[in-house]
This record gives sequence, C-alpha cells and structure tokens, in this order.
Amino acid sequence: MADLSIAVRQVGDVAVLLPAGFINAHTVLGFEEALEKLVQDGHYTILLNCKDLNYISSAGLGAIMGLIETVREHGGDILLSNLQDNVFTIFDTLGFTQLYRVFGDEGQALAAASPEQKG
Amino acid sequence: MASEVDHAQFRLIIPSQTRYLNLVTGLAKRASLVAGLDDATAAKVSIAVDEAVTNVILHAYHGEGEHSVELELRFTEEALEIHIWHSGQGIRGDQMVLPDPKEYIKHPRKGGLGLLLMSRFMDEVQFKSDEVSGRNECCLIKKIS
Repeated sequence: MADLSIAVRQVGDVAVLLPAGFINAHTVLGFEEALEKLVQDGHYTILLNCKDLNYISSAGLGAIMGLIETVREHGGDILLSNLQDNVFTIFDTLGFTQLYRVFGDEGQALAAASPEQKG
Repeated sequence: MASEVDHAQFRLIIPSQTRYLNLVTGLAKRASLVAGLDDATAAKVSIAVDEAVTNVILHAYHGEGEHSVELELRFTEEALEIHIWHSGQGIRGDQMVLPDPKEYIKHPRKGGLGLLLMSRFMDEVQFKSDEVSGRNECCLIKKIS
C-alpha cells in the first residue's frame, strides 16, 4: 500500500479532498500538488476530510498553511473534518484549531461551507 | 567469545532518505508502547522522531540521500530516550528558536513548526555536537510517569 493516496470529489461548490495514509516529508509533495491544483483550477473552498488520514507531520501542516491566505483572499476557506485523535492533537497543540474550522463529519462541514458559497 | 549486549538499548542506521521515515516513526511508536507509554503519547513520540529525522535529512544533510542517520533507543525505568546522530550541519540548543504559535497563526507561512512539535510532545529535546568526531546529536526524552 502506498504511504499516501489522495481522492478528490466535488460537492456543490466545495472541493472535498480525502488524503488516506501518512503525510510526512516523503509524501507531502503529492498532497501539496493536489491542493495547489484545486486552487489553480479556481476551487477556493476546500474541505479536507481526514477520516483515513493516520498521520500528519509539520510538512503537511506547512502545505496547508501555504495556501490558507490565497483561498481566503478569494473568499474561500480550508475546512477540516473527521480528524483522528492524534491528528487533531497536532492541530490543537499548535493552536491551529483557532485558525481552521474543524467539524466532526463531512456533512457538518459542507453545511457550514454552503452559506458562504451563496453569500 | 560472545560480546556483552545491553538489552535495554539498540541502534538502527538508515540512509538519509525520507522514504524511510515511516519505518522510523513506526519503530518509535512501538518502542513507546514497549516502554509503557500509552497510545496517545506513543503517537506524539513518533511525530517528534519524524520531525527530528526529517530535520536531519532535509536541513543537516540538505536532502542528500547518500549519508547515514543513526538512531539509538534507550529504555530506562524513568524514560524512553531516542538519540539521533548525524554528520551533517549541526544545530546548537541556543540556536533553537521556537515560533510563537499565536504569531504564527497571525502570519501563516510554511516551515518552522517541526521544532515546536518536538518540544511540545517530548519532555526534553537536546542538541549536542562532538567537535572531535564531527558528529551531531539530537536527543529526545519522554519520561514514563
């Protein structure tokens, strides 16, 4: 099994990205490219559904941080859902749960994202 | 003649390539559990080791894959110690500048978080340099409560 696989699907105006496996310095390039492609294609509201993400290091956090200003400048956002405990701990330890909106599941995140798209 | 072996410590040497990170972090997590730490703490130790080894590969060795990174696990009654040695560019303890998370959130950027995670997730993080051998060490300590 590959260390990281990434699936992307569109739900309304929200691009849902599902990383599965491990995001570390070895796999981060694929994750970064997937995020950057979404932004380049004009998808500025991105939901990271992390239900199958077992692990993320600072390399992966950096990839997300690198795009947050860009998407927000375009009226979008990066949302997070379905974080496993250890992944949540990493975000929370660094105070990133104040920077990103974190939801228990994808449905809650999509519901929160939709009003922004309309407004 | 059989050599004397200290059963409470052992070493692993890996090439300075990120493809082996998963192997090392998996080992660190299992070692933490063997040392008596719980699952959540073991996950934190594995992240800290990932960050330390990544720093060695990407910064001390500048991404060059033909070098070696040596790890030693020491199991004591008080703590799990993970020592990481390399011969690349070293960092001294007084050069270790941790970003302020609040400032980081106000001004997001790439990089700078690895040391912060290491210091938050471990009880002690030490950087040492041996000028005679030219080797540098990062020592991560997690106390067993």
